Amino acid sequence: MITVTDLKKTYEGKVPTPALKGISFEIKDGEFVAVMGRSGSGKSTLLHQLGLLDRPTSGKIILNNSDVLALSDQKRTIFRLKELGYVFQEYALISEFDAWENVYLPSLALKGTPDKKRAQELLELVGLADRLDHYPNELSGGEQQRVAIARALINSPKVLFADEPTANLDSASSQTVLKLFLKLNQEFKQTIVMVTHEPEDKKYVHRVLWLSDGLLEKEEKTGKKY
Amino acid sequence: MKDIKTAIFIAYKSLVKGSKSTLLLLVFILALSYLNMMFISGILAGLQNVFETTMINVLTSHITVGPEQEPEPKQYILNADQVRRQIESIPGVLATARHYSLAGSISFDKDKNGITKSVSGTIIGIDPIQEEKVLTIYRLLKNGQYLSPTDTDQIIISSALAGGYGVPAPSDLGGVRAKDKVKITYPNGVIRTYTVKGIYDDTIGIFETFITTREAESVLNTYNSASQILVKTDLSLNTLNGYEHKIKLLEPKLKVQNFLDILGTVAAFLNALNLISFIVGFISVLVAAITIFVLVYINAISKARQIGILRAIGIKQRIVVLSYVLQSLFYAFCGVLAGAFLVFAVLTPLLNRYPINIDFGYLSLVHRKMVVVLGTISLVAAGLLAGFVPARIVAKKDILKAIWG
Repeated sequence: MITVTDLKKTYEGKVPTPALKGISFEIKDGEFVAVMGRSGSGKSTLLHQLGLLDRPTSGKIILNNSDVLALSDQKRTIFRLKELGYVFQEYALISEFDAWENVYLPSLALKGTPDKKRAQELLELVGLADRLDHYPNELSGGEQQRVAIARALINSPKVLFADEPTANLDSASSQTVLKLFLKLNQEFKQTIVMVTHEPEDKKYVHRVLWLSDGLLEKEEKTGKKY
Repeated sequence: MKDIKTAIFIAYKSLVKGSKSTLLLLVFILALSYLNMMFISGILAGLQNVFETTMINVLTSHITVGPEQEPEPKQYILNADQVRRQIESIPGVLATARHYSLAGSISFDKDKNGITKSVSGTIIGIDPIQEEKVLTIYRLLKNGQYLSPTDTDQIIISSALAGGYGVPAPSDLGGVRAKDKVKITYPNGVIRTYTVKGIYDDTIGIFETFITTREAESVLNTYNSASQILVKTDLSLNTLNGYEHKIKLLEPKLKVQNFLDILGTVAAFLNALNLISFIVGFISVLVAAITIFVLVYINAISKARQIGILRAIGIKQRIVVLSYVLQSLFYAFCGVLAGAFLVFAVLTPLLNRYPINIDFGYLSLVHRKMVVVLGTISLVAAGLLAGFVPARIVAKKDILKAIWG
């Protein structure tokens, strides 16, 4: 599903800062992978490159058999819309849209008609069937994050990326979100790549990619099967 | 099509859930810009209209036909009635009237003590019946009555010449009224005394007096001639130049001029009004465009994170830009609508009902179709451009920078 080869990212500036120094790994279809490491290890930078939100300095990323770094900006945007789902640390909902609209907006952009039925089903799946017409400021942090997850799933992405999705949530909401990811992975075979700094999150995933100082330090299999 | 649908959806939600104060401010500024543009152009067009109408109604009519100029200038048009009939046969010509223009020294003994005041003036010989169809002097009487064809011993004079109306001037007669007697000394030595039959409101300050054709012919010792023939036309059927051309075909030797030719420098002044109107309109559009640009830019900057999120979830840059352009189009549409309401439903009817008195006429707003259409299109286009540029600047920002700042 994902093949990353010698991925490097250096932030240009007065003093160039290398964030990724040559990372290679593979992620299989249906895998639930955590990316872990200390602050500044390059976890989020890696996810930004995989989620096509940024361009690496060099290297190769094959996503669902496509060499995504060779795509034009326009095609990357369409690829992001069609093939990828992205959950940010800070919910990242559109404040002017209610929960339902936030979820079905990407389907409108992809197909020209909003898939309201699937959006409703997804909101039911994440436990927010009764919050369809609520605006982000009327939802708790955990609820907003679940809306963001439903939005990320609306176009049936091949991969779901989550950048520290529980970092801003209380422990109960964090558990709800992580169990939801687990359910998506187990029941719907959703490939998930999640950046987290919580060691106990390991119990949900099949494998952990440990980053340190911009390098892949080790790969740790948790023993969970997929 | 799906991009347009998505952009419409985003724009609609932004408008419905977005800041109402920004919306109101934008619409208000656009409405004021439209009002400013239409008011200035309307008032200048109104001024031009009053000026032209006054000139046409009291001085020149639409077209003036004068005597032959080549090979030598002639004093009169001969067989004037026949020339008039020929001109009146042209489709669209409503009426003609012949004038005799005489110079003279007009004297008035106000206190009847032998001390007279004399001023120079132009004495026009008219047929009062013909004249009513061409000029509207008969409607401007402030005092007394209009002439009838047999009033050979009577005269009507302008209020500017009569004096006593408004600010006194050294060149007026000091306060002539109807039934007073004035004496005119003509350059050919003829001296006549006339009873003032009426004083007319001379809005443009031309020191003219009117006597009958019969009296003028008696003074000049001529018959069936004219110093000029005034022609009133229906401008909805042909242009001034079109009528001029047709008259020239009938009377190739006579001097044919339209009122703009006769007015000369005044016509240049009227053209300058058009230029001023254009410049003011352009500045209004520019101010509106800059204001929209600033407000949309601030609005887009404040929504940079939202724009970043939209792009991160796969919404194309052009959809984001289009959604802002659609919002600007909505602002522009509302602004023009509000401005048009103020101009056409409030201000114009108000000034039509209570026109401004500007001495030589009553000024109200005149809206020329072309100016209204061009002004509206320019304002909407400026609004669109001013919405497009800042939206594109913000939408082009790096996604992560837009989201995290």
